[in-house]
Amino acid sequence: MRLAITRRQLLKGIIGAGGALASGVASSALAEEHPAHPVAAPDAVGMLYDNTICTGCRACMTACSETNNLPAERLCPIDPAISTGLWDVPADLDSKTKNIIKLYREKDGDNFAFVKRQCMHCLDPACVTGCPFGALKKNTWGAVTWNSSLCIGCRYCEVGCPFDVPKFQWDKWNPKIVKCELCFDQRLKKNQEPACTEVCPTHAVIFGKRSELLQKAKQRIADAPGKYFEDRVYGEHEAGGTQVLYLSSVAFEKIGLPKLGDTSLGHYATKVSSVLYRWLSGPIIVAGVLGAIIKRNWKRHEAEAVRVQKETGVPEQL
Amino acid sequence: MNAHDTAGSTLVNHWQCGVPVYREPVVTTSLLFFGAWAALGLTLALARVVSPLGPFSGMNDAYAWGIWKSFNVMTLTALGSGPLAIGMAAWVFNRTKLHAVMRTALLSGFLFYATGLVALGGDVGRPWNFWNVILPWRWNAHSAMLEVAVCMPLYCAIFLAFESLPMLLERIYYTGDRRVKTTLLRWAPKIRRIYPYMITGAYVLPIMHQSSLGALLLLAGDKINPLWQTPVLPVLYLLAAILCGSGFVTFLLLIVCLHFSRPLDIGVLNELGNLLSVSCFLFLTVRFADLIVRGQLGRAFAFDSMSALFLLETALILIPAAVLRNRTVRKTPRRLLLLAITACLGGLLFRYIPTTVAFSPAHRARYFPSTPELLITIGYISLGMAAFGIAVKYFAVLPGEISDWNRMSKIFREKRRAPKAKKETPWLVSLLTR
Repeated sequence: MRLAITRRQLLKGIIGAGGALASGVASSALAEEHPAHPVAAPDAVGMLYDNTICTGCRACMTACSETNNLPAERLCPIDPAISTGLWDVPADLDSKTKNIIKLYREKDGDNFAFVKRQCMHCLDPACVTGCPFGALKKNTWGAVTWNSSLCIGCRYCEVGCPFDVPKFQWDKWNPKIVKCELCFDQRLKKNQEPACTEVCPTHAVIFGKRSELLQKAKQRIADAPGKYFEDRVYGEHEAGGTQVLYLSSVAFEKIGLPKLGDTSLGHYATKVSSVLYRWLSGPIIVAGVLGAIIKRNWKRHEAEAVRVQKETGVPEQL
Repeated sequence: MNAHDTAGSTLVNHWQCGVPVYREPVVTTSLLFFGAWAALGLTLALARVVSPLGPFSGMNDAYAWGIWKSFNVMTLTALGSGPLAIGMAAWVFNRTKLHAVMRTALLSGFLFYATGLVALGGDVGRPWNFWNVILPWRWNAHSAMLEVAVCMPLYCAIFLAFESLPMLLERIYYTGDRRVKTTLLRWAPKIRRIYPYMITGAYVLPIMHQSSLGALLLLAGDKINPLWQTPVLPVLYLLAAILCGSGFVTFLLLIVCLHFSRPLDIGVLNELGNLLSVSCFLFLTVRFADLIVRGQLGRAFAFDSMSALFLLETALILIPAAVLRNRTVRKTPRRLLLLAITACLGGLLFRYIPTTVAFSPAHRARYFPSTPELLITIGYISLGMAAFGIAVKYFAVLPGEISDWNRMSKIFREKRRAPKAKKETPWLVSLLTR
């Protein structure tokens, strides 16, 4: 039995289905995975570092290395007969250093400032957006953690990170990505704060909920206007916002915190592709259009091949 | 039969179907030369497998991607996009003359992709975790790297391999006995039935991953100079691939046909030149429209080092685009060759610059490929060239005349002897005097 569907009914059906599909796409597009200005989760934790309090004692570095079982960075001795070299003197974040205190000194004058560098734990991290199999992920409390069994070692995280934080073990056959994970496995899970904030003798770096830290930072600015650079908190909006926040007496760029826009990189990188690749709609549409044209041309091509073979006896070559 | 009388002049179609290179020895000096480089590169690549990345490369945490990714994969697969460019022109835009050169495009494309993927395998630090690719629920659908990691091997292993399959089966058919022949004749209609669907896939996939290669760089954000960092980078990467693909096939055909003293087909070359010129114009249109919309045109003409690079790259693409509009130029092999090289260089520069030269991470660091890194890259390229040199002799790759088909089984079965002391015309000389 043939179904009695008129052309009009069929058309209506197609339009209806198309409309439903379109509205489905539109509504799911509303819940963007990488919004331009991400909002911190209510349980997001972080750190607030204030370099007007930091004395540069580097207790946090030792605590970090101990807690994370990181090997000591060793400088070669000048004379091997006298010493075995200087121990634990990293120049910057590297595959043996997840946390570092650096000193900035003004070219002329006595002005100086410390800076503590480690992962910023972005609200929408570029490393997580780029990671092909989700080895890097935004874990509980917003900590950005790394999973060794999913990482293929492509180092896209290093290319993407605007703060140059993730480091790769170039000297290992089984290389890992090394970065601060807020002591996630070692301490956070056990309801302890990260090692660096715990040991800080002056409370230059403190741990807490991001919302509370932000409030505290703004209070400090309000209490002493003009004390802090631009009277603002670094990390509130940078690259869409980070869970580690900074207060500084000197310009942020001078202590190595890059000047960044307030849009998340993940948003910039995926705003078009996430629409085109939603349910593979873009590729399917392209395949449909190309396929239809190719099918038509293929028929013509076959007819021509048959004609040539009849004339010359030569079979068509694909 | 070969001569078609068009408007009073006799046009000879020399390129009608694939014909193997015959009456030539397989082992030649150039094969040994490239073979030696390939052997050296592959040995080093094997050594890299059992060694950490550090001692093998000049890469560091600031420039985490070296030439294996930025050159072998992100740049050279543009040259390997001939099957996309020529195939789309032939099958979608009905430039039917180009069917004859499709096999040259397919073979070169396959070799560029295959060596690029091997390079990628040696570049990643934890390749043993790549098996996760078969578990789609572990895919990060937002990652351009995932798209490339899934799409590129799939394209090379399934679609390019399928498209190249007739070349292999044909040789088996013409050298086989009756049983083989009847089996293959039974297969032929099946292959023909799925062929149009497979070539559709063979165009959709490279459109996806060639644009995704550009999308990879979006995440690097401000690290890349604004002359190259743009939201339309995926489109530009795709257009550069089409430009390089058509340019490289033109270049390759001219070089190889002259090397083996095979006749050239001016009609097909004319078509190829036209395709190259159009794809150059398409690229430049998007490139400049983007610069104007983003208000970065001033930076392009600031005459600093980045602007100089931009101008060089643009000139290398603009010259062939404009000059190839002239039909006489398109029909002059020497000029066409030079312009194809120019266009390819321009396209390659555009693809390479944002990955390294115009890439400045927050930390001051330098990257220059180490010697083993360079040797491995040279090894992969040499491997491709050696494989190409062998394949054109065993398979019907290079375009030739349809009349040769009557002798095909003889050609395929030909015993290759060392050449008689024949007078060789160096192809470079013959090209420059042509």
